[in-house]
Amino acid sequence: MQLGFLVDLHLCMGCKGCEIACKVENEVPLSTWRLRVKYVDVGSFPETKRTFTPLRCNHCENAPCERICPVSALHYLDNGIVNIDKERCIGCAGCIMACPYGAIYIDPETQTADKCTYCAHRIASSMMPACVVACPVEANIFGDLEDPTSNISQYIQRHTDVQVRKPEKGTNPHHYYVGASQAHLNPLASRREEGYNLFNKITTLPVGGHH
Amino acid sequence: MIHETLAATNAVVTLDVALPGIVWPWLVTVNMWAKSIGTGLIFMIFLLMKKNPNEMGSLRTPTIIVSFVMMNIFLLFTLADLHQPFRMWHIFFYSHWTSAITVGAWMATIFVGLEALMIAVVLFKKDTALFDKLLFWTTLLAIPVTLYTAALMAEATARELWQMPTESAQMILAATLSGSAAMILLGGSKLSDESKKFFGAILGLSALMAFIIYMSEYIFGAMKAEEVAAVLHYIKGDGEYATMFWIGQWVAYILPMTLVVLSRVSNSDSILSLAAILAIVGLWVVKHVWLIIPQLLPLS
Repeated sequence: MQLGFLVDLHLCMGCKGCEIACKVENEVPLSTWRLRVKYVDVGSFPETKRTFTPLRCNHCENAPCERICPVSALHYLDNGIVNIDKERCIGCAGCIMACPYGAIYIDPETQTADKCTYCAHRIASSMMPACVVACPVEANIFGDLEDPTSNISQYIQRHTDVQVRKPEKGTNPHHYYVGASQAHLNPLASRREEGYNLFNKITTLPVGGHH
Repeated sequence: MIHETLAATNAVVTLDVALPGIVWPWLVTVNMWAKSIGTGLIFMIFLLMKKNPNEMGSLRTPTIIVSFVMMNIFLLFTLADLHQPFRMWHIFFYSHWTSAITVGAWMATIFVGLEALMIAVVLFKKDTALFDKLLFWTTLLAIPVTLYTAALMAEATARELWQMPTESAQMILAATLSGSAAMILLGGSKLSDESKKFFGAILGLSALMAFIIYMSEYIFGAMKAEEVAAVLHYIKGDGEYATMFWIGQWVAYILPMTLVVLSRVSNSDSILSLAAILAIVGLWVVKHVWLIIPQLLPLS
């Protein structure tokens, strides 16, 4: 079994229900996110549109975070999930430096690395990840990539525009997008300008004495 | 390609959470800088043993002690950078061997252990023959200890700027640059003119080669990858780190190179010492800029 995620961006409406469900389910502290929805505005007035991209750990088959972790705090589960053992993590931040997707952060409460685990604890109890359950339009599709009859496999077979983020990194992500443009997936394809953000003054908690 | 896409789409991020910012701060710069001096001094004392063994006499003790102190500064700052420093022992009990951090921690520990043994041998047993035998093995180990940080940077898949071949060369050159500079300052009048010129040549050539590599990346790096181009923007034009980058290049490389040449022409020890001081100070600045700029780029 190799579990994977697919987000149909044609369906996503940026409600952030998945983000909130993840926060609640995993007790993600203030100022940190395991899953976040990025808004990018494309075009010039009046021809403009807003795009929404849910971003989470890609659970790569060839995960740089797992490779660089000096104590195996980041490790693979048999079902392909890249899990984290927070009790073992030493907080070296090597995984944060290695992850090409910016999906890992230091938890300000435990001072250890943390990230999306595809709700591994829920999956162990045969439940779907919290974000999948919360999505009102079923844009989050989750399942076994090795099972050709699974919903995710069927979805990948039916659609021709299935993409992953940064394929050139050779990480083989188990996280796919349908209907994505460069503005969705490539951080260099959009500008980050001071004053444009809907929320400019986001408060962050300190993650360590020197940071 | 992205540049043209961006012009066409006018895409602007309008809602996203705060970016994590600098993950590896100045503490990691001190780590790399101190390690360069620590291992570099070992390379230099080994070269002195091979070239002019009769000058080793009064230099064994200060060289090994300064190297030992620098390696302990390196270890201390590595520890200080951890968010859970009291779990450092996990590296030795739950070692994950694909990680350059693990391999480096083990090698650095053995290296410092060997240095402690050498200090005991030279200070208490006064056995210079045994010291010189241990020096061979310590020098051999100093090579991977110097290089492992390059491997760590290469494993940082997210940071395109750091490529293993160039970072390996830069790590070795940083060690020979700072090691020769430290040896010139430590040796002082105990070194013959020939040895001073020898270490001066190592200093000047290391600065030249490191400078060439940085300039190659500065000019040609952007032609290979969009991410590298975006990172290099931080040190070009009015980039956030442009001034600091050039201060580093001048202080670590251009001025020491020039001063080494001047010291040879005028046969001046004080000019050579000035070159050595500038190289050591400038190396910190150069390393810091190269550490920070890839971390400024948004990854998602």
